[in-house]
Amino acid sequence: MVEYLLIALAGFAGSFHCIGMCGGFACALGSDPRGRQATLLRHLLYNTGRVSTYVFLGALAGVLGTALIHHGAPALPMATGQRALSVAAGALMLLMGMQLWGYFTPLRGSAGGMLGNGLVGALRRLRTAPGPAAPLALGVANGFLPCPLVYAFLAKAAASAAVAPAVLTMLCFGLGTFPAMLLTGSVGRLLAPVWRQRGVRLAGGFLLALGALTVARGLLPLDGHLGH
Amino acid sequence: MAAELCAHCRLPLGRLPFRQRLHGEPRTFCCYGCALAFQVGRGVPEQADAAWQLIRLGLGAFLAMNIMVLSLLLYSGSLGDGDAWLRQVVHLLLLALATPTVLILGLPFLRQAWHAARQGQVAVDTLVSLGVGTAYGYSSWATLTGAEHVYFDTATMVLMLFTLGRYLEAAGRARAMRDLEPLLAPERTPVRVLEDQAEHMRPAAQVAAGARVRVLPGERMPVDGVVLEGASSVDESLMTGEAWPVAKTAGSLVLAGSINGAGTLLLATTAAGNGTQWAAIGRAVAESLRCRSPGQQLADRIAGPFVAGVILLAVAALLYWSVRVPFEQALLTALAVLVVACPCALGLATPLATSLGLGLALRRGALVRSGAAFERLASARVVAFDKTGTLTSGAAHLFCSEGLEGVSTEQVLSMSAALERASEHVLAGPVLAAVGRTKGSAPVATDVQAAPGGGISGRLGSERLAIGTETYLQTLGWQLPETLAARAAVLAAQGCSVSYVAWGDRVKGLLAFVDPLRDEAQEVVECLRRMGLHTVLLSGDRSEVVAAVAAKLGIESWRGECGPQDKQAALQALRQTRGAVAMVGDGLNDGPVLAAADVGVALGSASDLARQAAEIVLPAGGLGKLPWLFGLSRAVRRTIVGNHCRAWGYNLVALALAASGLLQPVIAAALMAGSSVLVVLSSLRRQRFDWAQQTAIGRTTVPPLPRAAQELSESKYRPMAQR
Repeated sequence: MVEYLLIALAGFAGSFHCIGMCGGFACALGSDPRGRQATLLRHLLYNTGRVSTYVFLGALAGVLGTALIHHGAPALPMATGQRALSVAAGALMLLMGMQLWGYFTPLRGSAGGMLGNGLVGALRRLRTAPGPAAPLALGVANGFLPCPLVYAFLAKAAASAAVAPAVLTMLCFGLGTFPAMLLTGSVGRLLAPVWRQRGVRLAGGFLLALGALTVARGLLPLDGHLGH
Repeated sequence: MAAELCAHCRLPLGRLPFRQRLHGEPRTFCCYGCALAFQVGRGVPEQADAAWQLIRLGLGAFLAMNIMVLSLLLYSGSLGDGDAWLRQVVHLLLLALATPTVLILGLPFLRQAWHAARQGQVAVDTLVSLGVGTAYGYSSWATLTGAEHVYFDTATMVLMLFTLGRYLEAAGRARAMRDLEPLLAPERTPVRVLEDQAEHMRPAAQVAAGARVRVLPGERMPVDGVVLEGASSVDESLMTGEAWPVAKTAGSLVLAGSINGAGTLLLATTAAGNGTQWAAIGRAVAESLRCRSPGQQLADRIAGPFVAGVILLAVAALLYWSVRVPFEQALLTALAVLVVACPCALGLATPLATSLGLGLALRRGALVRSGAAFERLASARVVAFDKTGTLTSGAAHLFCSEGLEGVSTEQVLSMSAALERASEHVLAGPVLAAVGRTKGSAPVATDVQAAPGGGISGRLGSERLAIGTETYLQTLGWQLPETLAARAAVLAAQGCSVSYVAWGDRVKGLLAFVDPLRDEAQEVVECLRRMGLHTVLLSGDRSEVVAAVAAKLGIESWRGECGPQDKQAALQALRQTRGAVAMVGDGLNDGPVLAAADVGVALGSASDLARQAAEIVLPAGGLGKLPWLFGLSRAVRRTIVGNHCRAWGYNLVALALAASGLLQPVIAAALMAGSSVLVVLSSLRRQRFDWAQQTAIGRTTVPPLPRAAQELSESKYRPMAQR
């Protein structure tokens, strides 16, 4: 349970990072002319769409992790496979954490590519589209935008090598990003750059801690004593 | 067989086009993906139907993703583990989520399948509708009867992946064809028209002659016109083959389709916007894209039986597996067979590569009038050249004129000039230019008759006179004196074309012409030979002259003194001994000969496209582009063959895997969606890198002549060339 709380906190801190990229879309969604409640509904729908994408990706990561351990290296005992996966995922999280602290930035550009460009185009059209379903669709597409935080937690989800914990991991992360994004969108103002910078560093710190935890679970002899 | 073009990707429509009324205009697309991408990409966002397509995708994705998460949790045993009551609740929840998803994402597929069925055909959409319908129907029934397994995730994920695949494929296709867009609709190019001190944007088709038009740096000239103000250098390579930018100042003529350099120009149009050669080329390109090549027609014919075969295979797999494994598993296997087949890749193998090739050729100034012509160019084994105007500049000039004893050079010239003044004979220009310099009197012959390839004859007062070859004059009853024949042999060995002049009782003089070879001719021939092509020179000129030219250029075989019929016979013989023949010549005079070859390439006659018999047209100075064009046609053919191999290979392997029960339907759908996107991407990538590389080998580099030097060498005879 403690671990999921940590993930949610990382998501919360990380959402200051999200504001940089996704916050623009949330702001563009703007306020509804029909009043506060309608505005809140719009942003709730948008964030629901976004989180449901994370959860979906988490479920896929869980399946992938399971498949890797059960079919990927049949010669190895199951525990060894899970440990290797843990170390790899933890290393990826450490890398992403370092990235948030400003190291290894060249990695960032390579992730997006053509799919990202297409997505951004779609996002641009969706945010001005009318109707209640548009914010939901915007959120769904938004969730697929390349983002180091999402990748890091997907790696963590895959390392759990089961669907349910993987889904929970991404759900906690998504819910963690909920408050700040909801606030940004509804209030319609971006946080001052200094605070965003601090938030990003904090998220990086959480990622480093969680990454270290994940790596440690792969390396330490006592499986299951950490975090569970 | 002509077809319309898709409104989005500009490829020819398939056998079952997708019709939709958008913003009040009827539009036709080649597939649902293009309709989707068109509305997403070009629809006005405020318009509900354009936005609805994206929202439909997003909403479908939201529902499908939630169904997938719930199903995965169910499969992994985290939900309703052993608890039948909870499982039943989740199943009902899935049914509630899946029903709108299938409706939202599935209706376009169902609509197309229905459309096909009404024409007694089956299409890919039939496969999707069948597969998804079965999965959804079976799962609903299983839910209501409380069975253990449901497959709502399969039904919705397959739909989602297909929709996404169609969308990405269509977007990729449109991206590949984007460069071709301005060439297809020159009449619709926006033009800056100056009226009442203000600038109005207007489509080129609505610009009349005499309008004032501004062209900014880097823009393509939308109209033909005269420069009123400004100076710039203009790239006319597409229209004239001139490789170097041409300087334009006030008073210069500019051609629509050429590209403006660094200066802003103010033009007065000389023709209506839809009356330019550029507009004619655009219409020809659109026409060439509509022509379906034999390979493409075959692919279209195969598609129907192929889809029917897939349905049969799915039924067979269902029957085979249902007696061996649980029924649900057999059903999933049949479903995987239905959704893994990708006839689209077969249908797409040819048109995309061909259209990209046509576009690339046009951007270098070569107009290829059909994909079939491209295919034939790639399979040519022999290149036959016409000499005059093709390998030579076509701007012949008089080398010398000589008379028999007692006949002066001036006499020979003035008699010739009298005859040539009344005709449009090829030698009229040089003869008249030479007379102009010697200031002779100006009699004009009457009753002038021309014999193509022979000469011309007529009457001056009561006297008969003629210019032409030895045989032509013999048929008219004139004999050739020994002394003139000997002199002619000497001149011919120097590469001169000799014509005899006769009047009165005998042949009294001769005219010797020199037609300089084009600078790039030797390199072009060399390149073509290195590409494995047999080169042939066919000319109506004297054999000695033809032999001299062939030897100088390194052309392997030659034939002189042949008229149009002889050339056609020679092509026929070459085709039987060596294979397909490409004939390169001047499109208007050699029309029948070019038409008789497997593929005709005309130089410099793009001015009259309608009368043009050749299937490939290069600008006047475009001989140097010939090896490149051969290289491009071969690269395009390689890509097409590769696409077909990959498409068939994919379908055979994937169908075999699916039928043997090794593929999950969702994985199968992902494979199928991915494969059609890959075909598009590979054609795009090939065009960017491979074609550029492969065709670079065959490209001749025309040595850059300084502009001034070029003008100097041409200036002397320019008036003749441009008579």
